[in-house]
Amino acid sequence: MVTFKLNGKTVQGEDGQSILQVAEKYNVEIPTLCHHKALEPAGMCRLCTVELFDGRRTRYVTSCNYPIWEGMEVNTDSEGVHQGRKLIVEMLLARCPEVPLLQKMASEYGIDEPRFEKENDTCILCGLCVRVCERMGANAISLTGRGVDMKVDTPFHIKTDACIACGACAYVCPTGHITLETIRDNVSKREFELIPSEYDEGITGRKPVYVPYPQAVPNTPAIDRDKCIHFKTGGCKICVEFCGVDAIDHSMQDEIIELNVGSIILAPGFEPFDPSKFDSYNYAKHPNVITSMEMERILSASGPTGGHLVRPSDHKEPQKVAWFQCVGSRDLNRCDNSYCSSVCCMYAIKEAVVAKEHAGDGLDCAIFFMDMRTHGKDFERFYDNAREKQGVRFLRSRVHTIDPEGDSGDLSVRYITEDGEMKSETFDMIVLSVGLQTQTETVELAKRLDLELTAGNFCKTDSFNPVATSTEGIYVCGAFQGPRDIPQAVVDASAAAAAAGEILSAARNTETKIAEIVPETNVTNERPRVGVFVCHCGINIAGVVDVPAVTEYAKSLPYVTYTNDNLYSCSQDTQETITQIIKQKNLNRVVVAACTPKTHEPLFQETLINAGLNKYLFEMANIRNQDSWVHKNNPELATKKAKDLVRMAVYKVALLEPLKEAELQVNQTAMVIGGGIAGMAAASSLANQGYDTHIIERSAQLGGQALNLYRTANGEDIQKNLSALIKDVKKNKKIHIHLDTTLSEMDGFVGNFKSTLSTNGDQQVLEHGVAVMATGASPLKPEEYSYGQDPRIITSLEMDRKFIDKDPGLKKLDTAVFIQCVGSREPQRPYCSRVCCTHSIDNALQLKKLNPDMSVFILYRDIRTYGEREYLYKEARQAGVIFIRYSLEHKPQVQIKKDKVVVTVRDHIIGRLIEIETDLLGLATAVIPNRDEQLANFFKVPLNDDGFFVERHAKLGPSEFATDGVFLCGLAHYPKPIEESIAQGRAAASRAVTLLARKTIHTSGTIAETDPAMCSQCGVCVSVCPFAAPSFTEEGPWTGRAEINPVLCKGCGLCVASCRSGAIHLKGFDNDQIFSQIFALGETG
Amino acid sequence: MEPGRLQFSWISSAESTKFVDVVNQVTAEVKALGPNQTFLTTKAKVA
Amino acid sequence: MSDWEPKIVAFLCNWCSYGAADLAGVSRMEYPPNIRVIRIPCTGRMSPKFFLAALREGADGVWVSG
Repeated sequence: MVTFKLNGKTVQGEDGQSILQVAEKYNVEIPTLCHHKALEPAGMCRLCTVELFDGRRTRYVTSCNYPIWEGMEVNTDSEGVHQGRKLIVEMLLARCPEVPLLQKMASEYGIDEPRFEKENDTCILCGLCVRVCERMGANAISLTGRGVDMKVDTPFHIKTDACIACGACAYVCPTGHITLETIRDNVSKREFELIPSEYDEGITGRKPVYVPYPQAVPNTPAIDRDKCIHFKTGGCKICVEFCGVDAIDHSMQDEIIELNVGSIILAPGFEPFDPSKFDSYNYAKHPNVITSMEMERILSASGPTGGHLVRPSDHKEPQKVAWFQCVGSRDLNRCDNSYCSSVCCMYAIKEAVVAKEHAGDGLDCAIFFMDMRTHGKDFERFYDNAREKQGVRFLRSRVHTIDPEGDSGDLSVRYITEDGEMKSETFDMIVLSVGLQTQTETVELAKRLDLELTAGNFCKTDSFNPVATSTEGIYVCGAFQGPRDIPQAVVDASAAAAAAGEILSAARNTETKIAEIVPETNVTNERPRVGVFVCHCGINIAGVVDVPAVTEYAKSLPYVTYTNDNLYSCSQDTQETITQIIKQKNLNRVVVAACTPKTHEPLFQETLINAGLNKYLFEMANIRNQDSWVHKNNPELATKKAKDLVRMAVYKVALLEPLKEAELQVNQTAMVIGGGIAGMAAASSLANQGYDTHIIERSAQLGGQALNLYRTANGEDIQKNLSALIKDVKKNKKIHIHLDTTLSEMDGFVGNFKSTLSTNGDQQVLEHGVAVMATGASPLKPEEYSYGQDPRIITSLEMDRKFIDKDPGLKKLDTAVFIQCVGSREPQRPYCSRVCCTHSIDNALQLKKLNPDMSVFILYRDIRTYGEREYLYKEARQAGVIFIRYSLEHKPQVQIKKDKVVVTVRDHIIGRLIEIETDLLGLATAVIPNRDEQLANFFKVPLNDDGFFVERHAKLGPSEFATDGVFLCGLAHYPKPIEESIAQGRAAASRAVTLLARKTIHTSGTIAETDPAMCSQCGVCVSVCPFAAPSFTEEGPWTGRAEINPVLCKGCGLCVASCRSGAIHLKGFDNDQIFSQIFALGETG
Repeated sequence: MEPGRLQFSWISSAESTKFVDVVNQVTAEVKALGPNQTFLTTKAKVA
Repeated sequence: MSDWEPKIVAFLCNWCSYGAADLAGVSRMEYPPNIRVIRIPCTGRMSPKFFLAALREGADGVWVSG
């Protein structure tokens, strides 16, 4: 340690440090031009000159390269120093009069015009570029010439391939003398390459050291070995010197890690189709033809344009945007993907609606499509709204060519309208709705794992075992199983976890470690002893907020007995230090002023637990996310705000009390309501994972709607597979079947439900920890198309019955007609029933197989054979099935004329009415939910307008309810085919097991509690709570007064605010605690 | 009491842009109203 | 009067606006440093008492956001 005087103050630095380094540490500003922290100092610009008194005389030295020594006296602020600097700036300005940085410095020193002769240079010969070039390992440039001829140049003044075009010299050049252009024109033989940001779809670039995207887990930067200069030349490594925690190690090597596992789940995802090869769309050539993925980034608030809708070529706000559907999907002419990608219709509508929300109603959005496939839950409504309320135009036409209109950036297209008219239109930008496809790497992986693939290169699975691959123990989920949207991918992910869980259930908890529990110190009735830890977060906080000042300020606050500041409070060593300090200083309350409680509260609470403190004796002051990061240009007010926030936290923490988290046993039994395919799948999975499961079925047999179905889309025999499934369920000793049974009463909550089962009048109480709703749906009994008036007019399920019974009449038919969307996609039932298109097409093909000469017609509105079901559609057209589209305004008419069934439909191609005499009319009827309101009330789970249950989250929680312990699967959620029902049954089981496997659950500590003595029994809390947590006490001295079930309480505080007697307290957010924060604000900071 | 002193809004956790817009708007509106004079505590104001 | 800056107390729902405020930080957006955030579990917790108390303590405005 070297001690010396800096501007009269005693300071200390490490031996070998320069004056500049020590000054920086003490926040003493010294101007520099040629200094770079990671490079050897050169003392070239002379601007950092300071005054040095060595005991005898005063000298002027350059602070960047003058090492400190014991007893020296340095002055950075003397008259002499300033005069010297002024002269240096004046001379530099004379050499480079046009450099803005020097002009600014000169005006700060009051120099209007240099007294010396002006030279028209821009280089100050500081040599920083040469030093950084050397550091990069390139050594491409040097200072050449002598005296007045000195300049930065390449050897022999010719372009060199020694230059690696890294741009470091341009980056560090203080005057702007070196730019990327000068490097390209005079220095480098190589081309600059932008590193495209993968996350922003190449719209922007990224650095070789980067965080892949803001939500990345772990959210730490990575070094791209292919782009990092160090891995090319061995030089650079500048990042190492800037990293405050020595986290960077360039010598790390790839490691092969061997894991011993019992099962593998594949979730490799997909790649968006690359439309570059479609020459006629000009994607590769024209910047304003973009893919839907690029559009996602442009519309994103965190995207390259900050969510501002502009087109790439000229950043003009577009007036007209078009989407082209089925790019790389349903196409065998220009690519090999004949399947439907399933998600593009919906995302295109979403993008159009979001674009209109961003840009206003004036934006014209047109979607060119073949069939509009909005077959997901609530998607049809979204489509209806986009078309009718938001004014998105839908044009049923496939456009062949995009023609750029000269250099204007505009794009013109020609298309044929539904009436056969040729039209042309100009758009500002065009979005190609690209499809999903399996990556080549995934196909290779599948080969290595010996997995069978489908024609579209997706993983082949069985409808009755939807996540199992052809190799035992390997399961699949997500888009590798077939193109699918988020909810379906989430369902499959849970199903795959359940499938793996079933074969591994014997090994459950064999590899777990039990955490050591530190006994909790009792701090009740102790005077608060608050410890305040203020975090620098590297420069994230300390770069703006004066952290030492905040720390110093915290000392002055009441009850604060210890303060400290840390470089990174969340690092493991700091955590250990904090634990030690809590113990040593006997702290009983802790405040950490750092990032945000949303991400780091659990971590610091863990630290408290390790120190034997109750984790609720903790408060965080958010001085990063809500302070330093958002007020970076206002350090003074940011520091003031940080002090306020710390004061508020200290005031609150002093009033916090240790809270208990009640432990609750989870009954290890499950109940599944509904014995259909989904219910049985859920029950089998639960039972196979070791849990006793009761199936409650109101009819006299298992099987549900599947009993009426003939074939799956893959051609599997449903009855054969169903009886095998029923047999397995009956054989399973852990499954208890209750037929002819309904639920007559329900009591309890997560982990402890008590259901009263009613079997033919007999009552039985079942205690269970979880419940699965698999209540199914039924087919609509149509009231149109003369249904019921002629035996030849039947529903799809009635036709399946004929196939199952091998009805000999089917073969003899001359003509068969199918009408789609019977009762679906109508104003009174605005949803798509999802299964009917595939179902009718498959049945049409079966009829064609029975009798190839039969005339088969399918009257449809949009064919929705999503995913690889599209092959069936293609096969049907090849087999001669005739598809005639109708619109909701011109529905087909059915008449029974004498002994003939006649269907009249308006053909949109020839624009005329066609009459078809048919021997069989199949009506593809809607799937109708059971709308069981009593059941919904029992479990406090919601139903939507259509009567389907509402899941916890449409995308991320499709198989569970917001009510804890209650799960959902099958048709009760939304119409779906067998493979999706089975997957969701297993998904519901998977979600349920996450609860059952814990055996106990802990309630949160921050919940509401009543003070019965204060309660006036008004009942407001009981009626206002969305979670039904408060109820009236039924026995004991407080009968009639409100009490709150800690298990159901989510701690929202609604009852607390609405209690007129002040009888309810919200622990952790109680009145006095919030008031203390408000009072803290009143104190002057 | 001026109604503008109490403001309500609804912002989802993903709407950071809206958050900033609302902060700007609330700050501007309250600033336009000038210092609050009502309900102030009677305690002598420490300068 | 022109350099007077208001003091605003913001009661933010932990799950909604508080998250938006954090995200604004992650996105390095900038806004005036006049607000002081009090995190509440849900706007349902908000009580008129807090509003009055904030004004008593010298706040010039109160902002409740869910």
